[in-house]
Amino acid sequence: MRKKTIRVLSGLMCLVLVATLLGACTSTTEEPEAKAPLKIGMSTPSTGVAAEKGAPMGHANLDCIKYVNEELGGIDGHKIEVLWLDNGYDASKSVTIIKRFVNEDCLLFTAASSGQMTAMMGIANENELSGFAAFSSPNLTQPPQHIYGQTPDYGDDWAAFAKYYMDNIWKGSGKPKMALHLLDNSTGAGAKMAAEAGAEELGIELVAIKEHSATTTSEIASLTTLLKEEIDVLYISSTPAPTAIVIKSAVELGMYPGITIGCGHAGFTKALVDLAGADIVDGVYGVYPTVGWEDDVPAMAKMTEYCQEYHPGDYGNMDYIISWAQSLIAVEILRLAVENAGADNLTPQVVEEQGLKKLKNFDVGGLHGPVTYVPGDNRLSKSVRVFQIQDGVLEPITGWVEAPFINYE
Amino acid sequence: MDLPAGTRNYTYAQDMAIFRTKTHWTLLIGLLVVLCTAPLWWGNWLSVANLIGITIIAATGLNILTGYCGQLSIGHAGFIAVGAYTSAILTERFGLPFPVGLISAGVVAGLVGMFFGMPSLRVKGFYLAIATIAAQFIIVWVIKQWTDVTGGHMGMSVSAPALGGLVLKSDSSQFYLIGGIAVLSIFFAKNLARTRVGRAFVAIRDNDLAAEVMGISLFRYKLIAFFIGCFFAGIAGSLFAHWARFISDEFFPLTDSILYIGMIIIGGLGTTTGPIFGAIFIGLIKHSLTHYLVPTLESSAIALPAGFASGLAPMVFGLIIILFLILEPRGLAHRWQLFKAAYRLWPFSY
Repeated sequence: MRKKTIRVLSGLMCLVLVATLLGACTSTTEEPEAKAPLKIGMSTPSTGVAAEKGAPMGHANLDCIKYVNEELGGIDGHKIEVLWLDNGYDASKSVTIIKRFVNEDCLLFTAASSGQMTAMMGIANENELSGFAAFSSPNLTQPPQHIYGQTPDYGDDWAAFAKYYMDNIWKGSGKPKMALHLLDNSTGAGAKMAAEAGAEELGIELVAIKEHSATTTSEIASLTTLLKEEIDVLYISSTPAPTAIVIKSAVELGMYPGITIGCGHAGFTKALVDLAGADIVDGVYGVYPTVGWEDDVPAMAKMTEYCQEYHPGDYGNMDYIISWAQSLIAVEILRLAVENAGADNLTPQVVEEQGLKKLKNFDVGGLHGPVTYVPGDNRLSKSVRVFQIQDGVLEPITGWVEAPFINYE
Repeated sequence: MDLPAGTRNYTYAQDMAIFRTKTHWTLLIGLLVVLCTAPLWWGNWLSVANLIGITIIAATGLNILTGYCGQLSIGHAGFIAVGAYTSAILTERFGLPFPVGLISAGVVAGLVGMFFGMPSLRVKGFYLAIATIAAQFIIVWVIKQWTDVTGGHMGMSVSAPALGGLVLKSDSSQFYLIGGIAVLSIFFAKNLARTRVGRAFVAIRDNDLAAEVMGISLFRYKLIAFFIGCFFAGIAGSLFAHWARFISDEFFPLTDSILYIGMIIIGGLGTTTGPIFGAIFIGLIKHSLTHYLVPTLESSAIALPAGFASGLAPMVFGLIIILFLILEPRGLAHRWQLFKAAYRLWPFSY
């Protein structure tokens, strides 16, 4: 018994000795010291009422960072560390998330929707932590502080669509009658602000403004009241699920086809076709700030490769494109900041001054219009395109349309 | 109150004291030490703790209204919104100090609550629930439409709370403010239940006809319950606005009103500790899933189907609540009572 114990103890000691020696050998091997990662925060509504948009956006954000870290080696050897959190399209959660981004010394942050960025911007502005939203509304960028819009806002969408409508679709005499159907948050309010400011100048009569919630299941009642107005065009600024409901209700009432329907970019995506059905939404117009999946632009091949490898279900969804572009912009901001200030000196304020504000004609691999910081205008990209749904596919029908700065203050 | 064998009370004051045994005092001091030092070691959980603290204040108010007085309210988030906007408007637009905004928030929310509580004399149960849902919709509708004052969908920015010259910007400093008010709220609720008013509430809840026959004015006491419950909601709303630094109608959805009901049921209706347990339980689940489980699963090496981890969070959240209601329908407060009884009797089980 005693001998057995001694044997076991000896064996254990040998094991410890071997492990120690191996550890020592490993530690003496000279490996290049890894450079400190650059930490950023990212938040998407991957669950909740806008999950049909948020989930692919979150996938794209992380897939792109994976590509930058694994294939490009990060930024000057510094890997990008992402603190990604799902906000569930919940305003209170968004506040705890932005507080965590601040507490964990994130250098920069991104958000998907204007609604969630609206909830985050109070804390972000107070702490001078710059961030940008893929989808933005004027309240985020006016007056300009530390929050930026990746692409033109919902007001710009309306302006671009209204101008296209007047130039190319409206053939009647007098002023066309337009009604707005808006999500009851900043997504809808942005379009409302632009329409109220610009309808008269464009020669459009704004006859009604209706609102719906993100959880709406039917808009028959609200559209019935529009029947007597005999509208020519209905503009919807909302997320895909409610947009699909509004269009389906319009079809049920026999309003559409018969009128023109235009959509802002928050609701105009492949998810709209999937939710409403290709037949229902055929011919609907929409504004979107990125290229389509069939466009041959430099970043398309790599993005498609990652999408099909890791999230094939997102292929064809333009929300994936905008968020891939968002990550590319975040990487470019960090690259400029490292180049101008040095990786060791980065703080959120330095990243904003030496990175974000140095953006000039960054082409985002052609995925959307060039990105430039212009003092006083916190919209980073200023171009949109008009699309039309044809046989279930979102086909671009214009080139890039510049969205002029509209001052709402 | 259940006390260990041999604990005797010689005066009325002793009999009424909340903390009487050495164990009570030890636990209280331990809890105070933990809370006072929390900003040093709670890290990122501090902002979640602040939100939970605000939730405890609001849930305590709802517990007085629903748990003690039996008046079902599904408009609590609306009353919180009234407090949030009152405080924000008074401090930001009129430049009044934060304490004025805080107290006014409670008073205005209380008065609005009394207004919407008037139908409680005629209707009760599900019918009253419908009436209070109307409060939720009307309040949020007013916030959306009154854009000149509330900012509508675009919301309004709110500054950090300031007490005199002391601006409480950080979560650490706000933790003491929110924690202090939460403790006061709980203390008030605990004592209210033992007063004439509190006993009238319980009588109305248990049998309103019998209560009326005993001389309790139903209208008066129901309105008092609405005022107190909504006063707490208003205070919570004010603290929330100054904690989040921004408010819009999206912060006060109907789902939150329902969740508050869930909290006091899970915690234990009609008990002082119920809202505390309920708010902590729901808050921790919600934020653990958001901040840790989902990101961990998304970044794990395990090949999960796309969107699986994100979809898991609401499923787990729902599952936990369902299982809880099945396994412990009397709430966490009851479980706490059982634990205390077991501790008192240990090592004897009878």
